[in-house]
Amino acid sequence: MTNPEDVNLSKDDGERTAYAGLVRGAAAGNSEAMEQLLMRAQEVAYRVSLLVCGQAEDAEDTMQEALLKTYRYVHRIKNPEAFRTWLYRTVRNACLMKRRRRVDEPGRFTSLEQGATNGSGEPVPIDVADETRRADQQMIDAVVGERLRQALDRLPRAYRIIVVLREIEGLSTREVAEIAGISEANVKTRLHRARQMLRQSLEGL
Amino acid sequence: MSEPRADECRELLAGVSAYLDGELGTRDCERLERHSRTCRSCAAVVAGLRQAIGLCHEAGRAPLPDAVREKARASIKRLLK
Repeated sequence: MTNPEDVNLSKDDGERTAYAGLVRGAAAGNSEAMEQLLMRAQEVAYRVSLLVCGQAEDAEDTMQEALLKTYRYVHRIKNPEAFRTWLYRTVRNACLMKRRRRVDEPGRFTSLEQGATNGSGEPVPIDVADETRRADQQMIDAVVGERLRQALDRLPRAYRIIVVLREIEGLSTREVAEIAGISEANVKTRLHRARQMLRQSLEGL
Repeated sequence: MSEPRADECRELLAGVSAYLDGELGTRDCERLERHSRTCRSCAAVVAGLRQAIGLCHEAGRAPLPDAVREKARASIKRLLK
């Protein structure tokens, strides 16, 4: 058995420093730093939203929101080291808002003009929700692969966000606790259970 | 390899996440490793967890699809022009 250190379960904490450097550069008027920062912010927003909420359309909205908020935030940030946590918290909140809105909204429907017909010209029902779901799944597959998408799908949402932030995004336990608004002990407990569930799902796929 | 020893397995696997995160004390770490050398079922659990975590790490490192990156670039251009 190899040393646990070899597994390197968390991305380098240098990531936070890298973000802070870009924030400082962008705030000082360095356009290259600003572009890099905005690109990273959008990538984070898209990936987290897509993997946590599962909808490509929402992920694009979240990406746009992260872009604008980051742009505004850069000019008034006091502690650049706190940027990364702020970004993920902003993305998480945007995901929560999208989910709440979706709960209230009626199921997707299609207009009569969009209705499909069979070979004899008779109208046939279209399940737009199914089509959208398929497209969303294809996008998630393009990001994390089909196996991992299916395994993530089976996780309760409260565990999925922990896995996405900790394992996929490489944040520390402390950062995840701050972003999710729970204790570090709780993050560890959820992560432990989520890892077991992921392992079992992946073994069955 | 011997068959799983339920109580010991359960006790050791409770700390497997801490072990994988490098947060388990040296003695417990050695105990778990010693145990896994002789317990096929625990060795499989540890290997399966490493694989699952590895898959997540890979996913986090992979670039987003070109179409998404292109949209992101276009939005930046619009914002900064």
